[in-house]
Amino acid sequence: MRPEDRKQELIDIPMTVDVPYRFAAGKYMTKFLVELRDNGKFYGIRCPVCKRVQMPPRIVCAACHVKNTEWVELGPEGTLVGFTIMYLPLTDPTTGKPHEPPFSYGSVRLDGSDSVLDHFLNIEPEVEKIKVGMRVKAVLRSPEQRVGDLSDILYFDPIPHQ
Amino acid sequence: MKRNVAIIGGGQTYHAARRHDVNQVEMVNEAVRSALEDAKMAIDEIDTVLIGNMEFFEGTHLTDCWLVDGSGAYGKPGLKITTGGTVGATIVCGGVHHVASGLFDKVLCIGFEKQEEGDTGAILSGVAHPLYGRSMAGAAVGYFAMMGTSYMAAWGAKEVHSAMVAVKARQNARKNKYAHLKLDITVEDALNSRMLAYPIRMLDMCPASNGACAMILADEKTAKDRCANPVWIRAMDTAHNEQFELDWRDVTTKKPIFSRTSSARIYKQLGVNKPVDYFDVFEIYEPATWAEMVWYEDLGLCGPGEGFRLIEEKRTEIDGSIPVNPSGGVLSTNCIGASAMLRVWEAALQIRGDAGDHQVPKEVRRALTTAYGGTNWTVITALSRSLDD
Amino acid sequence: MSERVAIVGVAQTRFGPKRADVNYSEMAYEVIAQVLGKTGLTVERDVDNAVSCSHDIWDGQTISDIGITDVIGGHLRNEEKMAMDGSTAVYYAAIGILSGEFDCTLVLAHTKMSQTNRNVVNNTAFDPIYTRLLGLDFTSAAALQAARYMHVRDITDRQAAKVVVKNLANAVHNPVAHNKGRYTIEEVLDAPVVAAPLRKMDIAPDTDGAVALIMASEEKAKRITSSPVWILGMGTSYDAHYLGDRDLSECRALEQAAARAYKMTGITDPAREIDVVELSEEFSYQELLWLEGLGICAHGEAGRLIDSGFTAMDGDLPVNPSGGLLSGVPANVAGLNRVAEAALQLTGDAEGHQVHNPKIAVAQGHSGFCGQHQCVIVLGKE
Repeated sequence: MRPEDRKQELIDIPMTVDVPYRFAAGKYMTKFLVELRDNGKFYGIRCPVCKRVQMPPRIVCAACHVKNTEWVELGPEGTLVGFTIMYLPLTDPTTGKPHEPPFSYGSVRLDGSDSVLDHFLNIEPEVEKIKVGMRVKAVLRSPEQRVGDLSDILYFDPIPHQ
Repeated sequence: MKRNVAIIGGGQTYHAARRHDVNQVEMVNEAVRSALEDAKMAIDEIDTVLIGNMEFFEGTHLTDCWLVDGSGAYGKPGLKITTGGTVGATIVCGGVHHVASGLFDKVLCIGFEKQEEGDTGAILSGVAHPLYGRSMAGAAVGYFAMMGTSYMAAWGAKEVHSAMVAVKARQNARKNKYAHLKLDITVEDALNSRMLAYPIRMLDMCPASNGACAMILADEKTAKDRCANPVWIRAMDTAHNEQFELDWRDVTTKKPIFSRTSSARIYKQLGVNKPVDYFDVFEIYEPATWAEMVWYEDLGLCGPGEGFRLIEEKRTEIDGSIPVNPSGGVLSTNCIGASAMLRVWEAALQIRGDAGDHQVPKEVRRALTTAYGGTNWTVITALSRSLDD
Repeated sequence: MSERVAIVGVAQTRFGPKRADVNYSEMAYEVIAQVLGKTGLTVERDVDNAVSCSHDIWDGQTISDIGITDVIGGHLRNEEKMAMDGSTAVYYAAIGILSGEFDCTLVLAHTKMSQTNRNVVNNTAFDPIYTRLLGLDFTSAAALQAARYMHVRDITDRQAAKVVVKNLANAVHNPVAHNKGRYTIEEVLDAPVVAAPLRKMDIAPDTDGAVALIMASEEKAKRITSSPVWILGMGTSYDAHYLGDRDLSECRALEQAAARAYKMTGITDPAREIDVVELSEEFSYQELLWLEGLGICAHGEAGRLIDSGFTAMDGDLPVNPSGGLLSGVPANVAGLNRVAEAALQLTGDAEGHQVHNPKIAVAQGHSGFCGQHQCVIVLGKE
C-alpha cells in the first residue's frame, strides 16, 4: 500500500492541567465565613444608597458603586426561589471529583437578604416534592467540625408543616 | 462613531463534536481561509487580527500567541480579548472600534473554541466564585435548569414548550450545512430525551462543539470598492451584570438586568419602537431552550410571561413573522468562543441573502443579534443592509 | 469626534510580594477608588466604559473579569477584558476612544501572583503538543533568549547585572516599589543561578498589585485635568510563536511595534527625541534587548549603552527611573504600570524618582514568552 493510501493516524495527547491556587477570601468574605464557622450565623451587608442586603458580603454595591457599610444578620430560614435535580456527575472543580447524582439543589433567599445562596436541598430528588416558594432552613455542621467555608452548610431542610 | 464599518466577508468551520483531525491552529486557519476567500482577499491585505476564546477551556494560556500561524497575526498588530460566552461579539465590537478609529481599514476578527480539548462542565463551574458556589458544580445546565423551574412556576409554561424550542432549533440546523446538531426530531423525542438537571433534558441544552468563525470588517471605502453586498454594523451595546446576583434565573425579578437594559439602550440609540417591526430576523444566544423564551420577553418581542406563547403559535419559526435563529442557534452549535460571533455572521448572511437553505423566506433588511456569557452578560448588535438605518 | 486621547489620572497599589488581606476584587477597588477620587469623576456620570486586563489562569477564575465587574462599575455597563499585558489595554482603550464611541474609559489591570504558582501558569502558555511537556516556563525560555542574545551581541554578565543594580537603586526612591536596594555588581553575580545565565536577582519577583488609569477624548480630558498626558503614538505586533522559529537575539515584533508607534508620532531619532523610557524588563537582559528593539541604540550596542551611563537616572535618557519590573510589578499589570509611570513622569508626579522635565516618554510591554507580542506607547506632554 502506498503511504498516501493508508488512512492517516490521528494522535491525541492527554494532559491534565493542574494549577494550584490559594484564594484570599478578603475582608468581607472572611467576616462572613468566620461568623458562619464560629457562631453559626449568616451575615449580609447593606448598601447605604439602595438599601439592598447583599450576600455574600462584598466591598462595593455594584449597582450604586459605593462601599457597602452595614452588616445585617440574616435568618437561618429562607424561601426557595429556584431549584433543580441534577442527574449529571459534573466535576466539582474544587475537588476534581463529581457529586453523586441524582441530588437536589436550589437557590435560597434567606430571610432579610436580597441575594440568594445556592446549596444542596435535603429533599428526595423528585420533582413533586420540591416547590418554588417552599420555606427551608439551613442545617450546619456541628460547631467543632466547622472549617470556615460554605461546606459548613450541609444542606437546607424543608421546614415542616408549611 | 467616526467611520462606518461593514462586514465584507466571513467564514466558519463545519462545527462538530469531534475534530481530531485538526489542532487549534489548523481549526482557526480553516475559518480564516474561508473568510478571506469569501471576501476575495489575501492575508497580507489584513491590517490587524483580533482573536477571542475562553482560555481556561483548553487549558492553554495566551492562546493568541500560539495561534499566530493559523490566525495570520504573525507580523501584524493585534490582540486578544476574552469575556467568556460574549467574546465572539466583543471581538466584533473591538473590530468595529479599530476600523472606526481610522487607524485600520481591514480587520480580521476570529472567535473559536475546541471544546473537546478540555472539561467544559468543570470550567463552566469555575464561573462561580471559588469560595462561594463553585463546588456546587452546577455548570450551565444547573443554572438554566433553575431558570426553567422558575419560568414554569411563574407563568404556567410546560415542559412541552421547551421541547418546541428544541425542535425548532434542530430542524433549522438541518438546513444549515455548518451546524453541529442537525437533528430530525419531534416534540416527543425532546420530551423523551435523557434528563440532565430537571427540567433540562439532553435536547433542551446546547452541545459542546469544536468550531471557529472569522469575519472581515472594513471601512466604507474598502467596503464599497471590494464588496458587492456589505453588511453595516449600525449599533452595538454591551451590558455586564454584577458578580453574584444571577438574576436571570428568577424570571419574576423586577430588577433592571443585563438583557433588558442592553436592548432598551440599543433600541433607544436606533429609535426602535417595536423591535418585531424594525428587525426582520433575530439571532440570539440561547444556551438552553428556556433562555430563548426569556430572551423573547427581554428583547420586547412579546410581553412578560408570553414567551412560551410565541413558540406555541409558531411565530418564531424560520417562515414565521418573527424568525428567531434560522441558523439553529447555540442550541445546535456551541463552540463558546465563536458562538456570539456566529450570531453576527449568521445575521449578516441573512441580510446578504446568502444563508442558503436556512435563508428566511422574506426580505431581510435589518437584523439583531445577542450574546450571552459571564454572570449574565450580553453584547447586542444591530446590522443593516443600508447606511440609511 | 475625538482626534486625540489622553490619560487624565493614574493610581497604583503599593506593590508587595503577598496581599493576604484582600481578595483581588478589593485590591482592584483600592486603585479604582483612588483614581476616581483624584480626578473627581464617577462611574455613572463620567465613565463610558471599562477595559480590564487579567487572565483566567492567573486568577483561577473562569472569565476573570467576573471578579472585578462590581468594582470597575461593570454592572449593566460596558466592560471588556484584554487577556494580554496591561500595555495592550491602553492601546485598546485608546482605539475605543478614537473610534468616537467612548469619551472616557476606566482601565484596570490586576494580578495576585501570590495566589498561585508562576511556573505552572507560565508552562500552560506553551503549546500542548510540542513544548509544554518539556516543562518550559517563562524563566527557562528567557534563559534561552538571554544566552542567545548575549552570545550573538557580546553582552556580558556584568552588563546585565548593571541593569539590576541601576533599577533596584532607582526603586529606593519609588514609594510603591517593594524590591529595592543599593547592590553591587558582585552581589548580583553571586546570587544563586535559577536557569543559567539568569540568577535570582535577574528575575522580576512575584508581586501582588493593581494599577488603574482613566483615559479620555481630547475635549473631555481638557475639562478633567490641566495636565493631560497625550497618547502620541502606539503600535503592537506579533512575532512567531515557537522559539525555534525566531532568532532570539533579535526582537522583531518590538521593532515593528515601535516603528508603528514612532510613525504615528513622527519620531525618527528615538535616542534623541525621547526623554524617558519605562520598559518591561521581566529579566535583566531584556532591558538591553528591548532598548535595541526600541531603536534607542543599534543592535548589539545596548551593553555599551549601559556601560556609558546613558540610561542612568542622571543620564541622557533615563530608563526605568521607577525601578522597572525588577523592583516588583506583577505579571500582566506590568505594561499598565509602565504606562502609569511614564505618565507620572510627564506630569511631574513621579514622587522621589522624577526625571527632569521630560516631554516625550515611551512605555513598552510584552505578552507571551520571550516577548512574542509587543506593545509600544508613546506619550507626551503636549
